[in-house]
Amino acid sequence: MTAIPLTFYLGLAALLFSIGLYGIMTHKSGIRMIMCIELMLNSANLNLVAFSSYTDTLHGQVFAIFSIALAAAEAAVGFAIFMAIYRMHDKINLDELNILRW
Amino acid sequence: MVKTALEEFAFLIPLLPALAFAITFFFGRKMPSGGAIVPILAIAASFVISFMITLGLLANPEEVVNQSYSWFAVLNIGILIDPLAAVMLSMVSFVSLLIHIYAVSYMSHDPGRARYFAETALFTAAMLSLILSDNILQLFVSWELVGLCSYLLIGFWFEKPSAAAAAKKAFLTTRIGDVMFLTGIIVLTSDLLKVAGGFQEGVYLLRFDEIFSYIPQLSALQLNVFGFEISHLTIITLLFFGGAVGKSGQFPLHVWLPDAMEGPTTVSALIHAATMVTAGVYLVARTFPMFIAAPDSLMVVAYFGGFTALFAGTMGIVMNDLKRVLAFSTISQLGYMMLGLGLGTAIGLEAVGISLFHLINHAFFKALLFLCAGSVIHAVGTQDMRELGGVGKVMPITAATMTIAALALAGFGIPGTSIGTSGFMSKDPIIEAAYLFGEHSSNWIPYIFSIAAALLTSIYIFRLIFMTFTGKPRSNYHGHESPAIMTIPLSILALFALVFGAFTRTGFMNFLEETFANSFVNLDIGNLAGIGRNELVEAGGHEPLIVLWLPLIVALAGLAIAFVIYYLRAVKLGALASMKNPVYRLLYNRYYQHQIYTEFFSIGVVYGVIAFLTQVVDVIVDSIVEGIGIITVGVGEELRKIQTGVVQTYATAVIAGVSLLIILIKLIMEVL
Repeated sequence: MTAIPLTFYLGLAALLFSIGLYGIMTHKSGIRMIMCIELMLNSANLNLVAFSSYTDTLHGQVFAIFSIALAAAEAAVGFAIFMAIYRMHDKINLDELNILRW
Repeated sequence: MVKTALEEFAFLIPLLPALAFAITFFFGRKMPSGGAIVPILAIAASFVISFMITLGLLANPEEVVNQSYSWFAVLNIGILIDPLAAVMLSMVSFVSLLIHIYAVSYMSHDPGRARYFAETALFTAAMLSLILSDNILQLFVSWELVGLCSYLLIGFWFEKPSAAAAAKKAFLTTRIGDVMFLTGIIVLTSDLLKVAGGFQEGVYLLRFDEIFSYIPQLSALQLNVFGFEISHLTIITLLFFGGAVGKSGQFPLHVWLPDAMEGPTTVSALIHAATMVTAGVYLVARTFPMFIAAPDSLMVVAYFGGFTALFAGTMGIVMNDLKRVLAFSTISQLGYMMLGLGLGTAIGLEAVGISLFHLINHAFFKALLFLCAGSVIHAVGTQDMRELGGVGKVMPITAATMTIAALALAGFGIPGTSIGTSGFMSKDPIIEAAYLFGEHSSNWIPYIFSIAAALLTSIYIFRLIFMTFTGKPRSNYHGHESPAIMTIPLSILALFALVFGAFTRTGFMNFLEETFANSFVNLDIGNLAGIGRNELVEAGGHEPLIVLWLPLIVALAGLAIAFVIYYLRAVKLGALASMKNPVYRLLYNRYYQHQIYTEFFSIGVVYGVIAFLTQVVDVIVDSIVEGIGIITVGVGEELRKIQTGVVQTYATAVIAGVSLLIILIKLIMEVL
């Protein structure tokens, strides 16, 4: 059986991560940023699962499940905050939320 | 075998009084008469041990008691009981014992007597430890401890402002000397390290035998001051002498001692007459080989001692306070002891003998004088001699013992025989040595000082006797003889003041000469004197008859003067002893030294300098401190602009940082 080489998975994960990173650095909308963060997290999950299959152990997969749970929790909290912000500002533009600076 | 067994207990000599201090301090208030019994028993035991060891040493002076325990790798605590330490130990524990017994009655009405007995026990422990220490550092620690006890006991009645001020004055004045002493120790240590080539484990450089063995090398170290080559040994010994000047109340640091009389009279007797103030003399005697090997040091000691003897005597004549007269007398007698040591420049090791002999005898008769004064004060309730008079009728034992002490102080005895009071036996050798010195070097100043001081001594002490005990009462007082527990110590001391000198004279001198030649140190004093460029003369004995008789003649003259003025009242005192007489005013105000030291030096110079320095410090330090503040605020102003509040900026910074880190790690891995 010809398996897909590990490098391909890692390359895909790196690509996903870079897309997510680009999104965070360029977009101003909170929703988009959260989506980008999810993208970066999932690229890491992909790495974990790929390594898990490569080394023939289950550690990575277990780790990935925890990571997904964490991402869900993070998304829940994040969207709750954005809901609150939306009620106050009628938009979720993180650039304008700068009252805590100097 | 008995002797070796006793040596095992030598460490108990200071330890027992120290334990007594702890017990009395914590439980004394619950015990009868302030727990006095504990220190009395402890000091009695110390005295017995000291005395037995002294007897053992008398039989065999070569074998000194020496025990050493490691403290740090290069410092030790140790016990050294050689003839010098042995006589001091016996005297201190004996006098302290008698004074403690006396104080049971003297302090019986005082609510703070438990504290009193605890502090005197601590003092005795510290003093004994000072005497038997075998290294200079342990001596210094004990030296500071006795200073502390002195401070506590002068300020015993601290609710009296004058007592609190006197305690502070004593503490600060002696501190000047102590700082000099400590500086001397530091210089000595650094020099020893130089000549011995650094520390070695198990070699205790500050032990006296080590110090003495390096004297030639220390003497060779020279320091150039304004073109004069000064031996390091001279500097070290002069700094040590500075410490002795403070502790032993020598001019110009004697100002604290008269004020120290604010404490209980027993404290004056114990600390400020018999024991602590002699620590300075003991220090010079202990390091005598260093002094004699240092050019000029002993001359300084002799001049200061001689001058102090005379200077304090002049002030003693005009004081009206019973205890003040005795305080100036103590200063004057300490001057004699210092003079005796200083004359070692001519008579060598014999100087230690005559000086220590005077120290021991003085301890007996001066403690007696103070205790008698205390007896009078206790019974009559005043210490102003102008209000006394006729006390001899109501207090015959006190009057008799005090007269004996006065005779001893003035030095009455028949020259050329062994009939005489203790003071005669020990003061005359010092005056004769001063004569020898004068004859040898044609420098008569020490001799003139000592003879003049002898005349003054006789005048002031008999003035005190006549004013206190004879004539009619000059105020309304109700006196009564003191109880037996007070008069018995007086009688014992009076016995010692009368006959101790006559019995022990030659034996004592010979014993003391063994101090620097035994199993601990073995020094050739003549050789060391050569290093110090001191020419020793052969012992006297061929002085003209007038020299032998002159001290007695001036003592009799002093007695006659006091008798005429204060007993017969043949001279109108009003004109002489009034503030209109400038000499009287000068003496009565103690040469205005208090004013000079306090108002001119302390307030004018020290405070002035401090005020000036404060302003300088304000300008310099403030500008530094404020500058730092301004810089910090300015940098903060700029740096806070980094905090944009935009999430993306932060995220970018984090990512840039992490990337940089990874690249760095990668690079380092490549290199390694």
